[in-house]
Amino acid sequence: MFRYLALRIASSLFALLVITIIVFLLSHLSGNPVDALLPDDASQEQVDSFIREWGLDKPLWQQYLTFLVNAVQGDFGTSLKWPGEDAMGFVIDRMPATLQLGGLAILISVVIALPLGVAAAVYKGSPVDNGAQMFALLGQSMPNFWLGIILIWVFSVWLGWLPTSGTGSFAHAILPAIAIAWFQVSALARLTRSAMLEVLDAEYIKLARVKGVSEFQVVWKHALRNAAVVPLTYFGILAASILTGSVVIETVYSWPGMGWVAIEAIRGRDFPVVQAVIVAYAVIYMISNLVVDLLYVIVDPRVRHG
Amino acid sequence: MVDIPIKPLTQPSLWRRAREFPLIPVAVLLIVFIIPAFFAEYIAPHDPYVPNLRARLQPPVFFGGTWEFALGTDRLGRDILSRILHGAWYVLAVSMIGIAVGVVVGTTLGLVAGYVRGWFDGLVMRLVDISLALPAMLLALALAAALGASFLSVVVVVGFALWAYFARQVRAEVLLLRNSDFVARSLVAGSSHTRILFRHILPNVTNTIVVLATLQVGIAIMLDASLSFLGIGIPRPTPTWGLLVSDGRDFIATDWWISFFPGLAILLTVLSANMLGDWLRDRLDPRQRQI
Amino acid sequence: MICNKIQYLNAPKRMLAAALLAGTILGGGGIASSAAAQEKVVIAVSPLGADSNLYWTTTGAFILPSMQTLVGNDPATGKYDSSGLAESWEHNEDFTSWTFRLHPEAMFNDDWGPVTSADVVHSFNMHTGEDAKLSGIKLLKTATITAVDDHTVRFDLPSPVPNFLFSHAGRGSLVIYSKAQFDAEGIEGYQNAPAGSGPFKYEGREVGQSISFSSIEDHWTGVAPEFDEIEFRWVSEPSTRFAMLSAGEAHAVTLPRDLQDDASDAGQTVLTSSEGAMQTTMLFTGQFMKPEAEETRDARTYAWADQRVREAANRALDRDAILEVLYGEGVRALPVYTMDPRFPGYSADLSDRFESDYGYDPEKAKALLAEAGYPDKFDNAKIPLVVTSLAGNPEFAQMAELVQAYFDVVGIQTEMREQDWATGNTAIRGFTADFITPMRNAPVRPSALGVQIFFTTHASPHLDVGDPEVNDLGGKLVDETDPATRNAILSQMFTRIFDTYAHLPMATVPASVVVNSDLVDGWDFPGATSSGLSHFHLIDLK
Repeated sequence: MFRYLALRIASSLFALLVITIIVFLLSHLSGNPVDALLPDDASQEQVDSFIREWGLDKPLWQQYLTFLVNAVQGDFGTSLKWPGEDAMGFVIDRMPATLQLGGLAILISVVIALPLGVAAAVYKGSPVDNGAQMFALLGQSMPNFWLGIILIWVFSVWLGWLPTSGTGSFAHAILPAIAIAWFQVSALARLTRSAMLEVLDAEYIKLARVKGVSEFQVVWKHALRNAAVVPLTYFGILAASILTGSVVIETVYSWPGMGWVAIEAIRGRDFPVVQAVIVAYAVIYMISNLVVDLLYVIVDPRVRHG
Repeated sequence: MVDIPIKPLTQPSLWRRAREFPLIPVAVLLIVFIIPAFFAEYIAPHDPYVPNLRARLQPPVFFGGTWEFALGTDRLGRDILSRILHGAWYVLAVSMIGIAVGVVVGTTLGLVAGYVRGWFDGLVMRLVDISLALPAMLLALALAAALGASFLSVVVVVGFALWAYFARQVRAEVLLLRNSDFVARSLVAGSSHTRILFRHILPNVTNTIVVLATLQVGIAIMLDASLSFLGIGIPRPTPTWGLLVSDGRDFIATDWWISFFPGLAILLTVLSANMLGDWLRDRLDPRQRQI
Repeated sequence: MICNKIQYLNAPKRMLAAALLAGTILGGGGIASSAAAQEKVVIAVSPLGADSNLYWTTTGAFILPSMQTLVGNDPATGKYDSSGLAESWEHNEDFTSWTFRLHPEAMFNDDWGPVTSADVVHSFNMHTGEDAKLSGIKLLKTATITAVDDHTVRFDLPSPVPNFLFSHAGRGSLVIYSKAQFDAEGIEGYQNAPAGSGPFKYEGREVGQSISFSSIEDHWTGVAPEFDEIEFRWVSEPSTRFAMLSAGEAHAVTLPRDLQDDASDAGQTVLTSSEGAMQTTMLFTGQFMKPEAEETRDARTYAWADQRVREAANRALDRDAILEVLYGEGVRALPVYTMDPRFPGYSADLSDRFESDYGYDPEKAKALLAEAGYPDKFDNAKIPLVVTSLAGNPEFAQMAELVQAYFDVVGIQTEMREQDWATGNTAIRGFTADFITPMRNAPVRPSALGVQIFFTTHASPHLDVGDPEVNDLGGKLVDETDPATRNAILSQMFTRIFDTYAHLPMATVPASVVVNSDLVDGWDFPGATSSGLSHFHLIDLK
């Protein structure tokens, strides 16, 4: 068990290392922060002092090593775009906002997808099944920024129910969370449906039916409890996809999370923050996958040796 | 030596197959996507590029507009319908080439990794991890900033975003097939590993690949749209659908048609592709219902 | 409005009113909630480049309304006035020494005491340090500052600077921080809550989200805003800003031109600055007019190195139509980028000749191209057009698209380069730019500054077009102090730029903001700052 855990963590760390190299190279290929951060009429002297200040005159590998050594200690440098802010600290400050939004999005997608998937399985082939699948697919068929803007106009401007954007209350999170969640509903509902179909076919369910357990109990208690494990396997991909979704949606709703930081930082060529935010994304993704893997091990001991 | 394909668990009757053929999705795909992609030049009523400043912001027919611009015009007076029709080609090209990149890279790595196991397998799986852990959008932003946005950069990003899914799925399949009897028999009969891999195992994972690829059309188109939203998609004036929706997004509440109809084209295409993918999966690959 | 009235009612009536108000909110949704938010004014704009309370570490895109510069601008005319910290100023004959007298009654907020010369000197030192990124700070870095007495400061400059006031007004190269606060709290004091002398007090910021201020009672200038708080929100999506305005969540928002039309159709009010706030153009990059080929780059091989191609490009553009699409009717066409009637060197003659020399004439354009042997005789016949977006200039992408379409009609081949602003800048600064790019001049600089930056080698060598004659004139301008001669030199420069078709001038555009008609009556601002917005205390609520 510990051997397995250690192996998984080691390989995640290796992956992280490669990611830092990729990110470092890409962000340095992508042009000079001087041009994003200094005004159009900056003097050569201003440019030079800026370059020295940020060590941009050193060879690339040297810049990378310096970066890596500091990064291991949690020091990603100070932000160029938000002067005085510690890059990783700045990203971590934004992390709760993204995790809240992501958590709510996961909650919403589960709350919608599970009943949808169950209904689709129970009424397989009926209009209910088709309707449920159609609704689920709809979320996957719209560009999420488009959906986001439509939601703002319908629910904030025309109906006046929810605030348009920004943060401050739970109400602010609802629209962006829906805009992210709908995309996930399809995959989750589909997984639930197929898992339910399999379970509903199982012997013990038939037995329960024979013993006179009500159909409602059979479906919602006995079957769903066993089928619900399957969508859990999807959690890793779900997490990645929600994180990706947050990049665009946070911009639409000016939600000050990591996705918003990522876009602003890349546009502003803020290397330290770009590196910090991508590493942070990768770490969140890897931790969530590690947790899922561990859950497997607990659920299914065979994996330990696989 | 005879190839022994793994048969689907159930074989529905021909009649049932025909009855369940997703006629509507395929028809929609043809009308909205495939035919415009190849014949836009002949069917588009206007030039999709030339602004017509006298006809700016014409509403669609039935909403105060005329048949001349059936779906209305954009801010520069270009016909929305013509732009959608011409855009289909680029959407088709991006999604097909992007997916092809993903399929080729992912399948090759997945096949070999699953077959040879060992350190190579470990390496490939780490690469899969890495690729899944890097949000494609962020990679795209960095890439576009480094090399400039172009058709090529969009294709690369789409391929990068998708290959890991193919690699993972194919590897899992190969792991199962590898231990099956026919591989052992082929080895005994003297087939080389390459031959086994490409002549015996590959055909058996083709169904999985086809199904997965169909289902990825939607993801590819969505990604293209998101890239346009971030200003790093295929450069103007190419009327790719993502750009059309993204360009019109400011006007959703007022001149809604600018982004609504391209959005509808995306919606219909992705919806149909997904329904076709679902159907294919049920037919070709019942074991993989959970993709 | 409702809230204000409630205060004057007695208690039982107030409860009734509150109940009614609650009923209205429940029943009326968005409209009621907006009315309740009257005392706090919300302005939504696109996010800033850098977000910091240390003004000199930003590019100067936004002067905090709590802070003041030495020189003010008249809200109606944009003319320099004494509404800033200086009550008067004078300069010596050759413009190398400028003396400012501070308002003796000027006070910092939060009891940090009166504003004195020591504060100006201290702020000057902060602004000219290593970490300064301010636009236009180069000029101040060459100056020396002397505190003549408690309320008098003198700037001495190595060369004549007739436009020195520009740096101290809307451009905001120097805003005045409190030395007393620095002595007591250090730089952290500034970072957390800089004390200023403006009519608002800094309350706090949510990084990347918003920044808020409260109005000051009995401000030393006598300025009294009619609201208690003002909050600026950074929102990058224009449609989200429009939604905020429509839902009554924001009093004022900045919007792209097309959305302004839509907003005005929906009953909102578009307010524009009294003066032109910005000039726009498409610039040919590279030193394409340099007679001898330069080793580092081959600008002479660019298609626009041929004057006939440049004229054809100008003739190909139907500016009336383009400007109407981009900026709306009534926006002024611009004969020469950086030339402005408010500043020296303005030539009415060029304005008169603009129609005949630059007017839309596709046939003439084709003839010119044919004469030049375009495209066959050119190595780089295809002209790259930059499609970019810049905060404050959402129309730049459309501008490139329109220009492309018009070029296409006359047979000029183009290639669209979609790239962000920084990428273009990297190329320009690195002397590798080989494209036509949109460019802006905001706020409109005094013409002597602008023309040197965008056309000569004397301020920004990377933007030099390489024309020996213009560079020559620019060199003379640097040292010339006689106003009449300066005027003449500038006129010659503009004429030369005009006659050689050295760029594709576009328009002079006022700053504009859209306000919610139910909440805001009016707001005068001159468009003298980088963002175009200022004079927030003049926001007139319903």
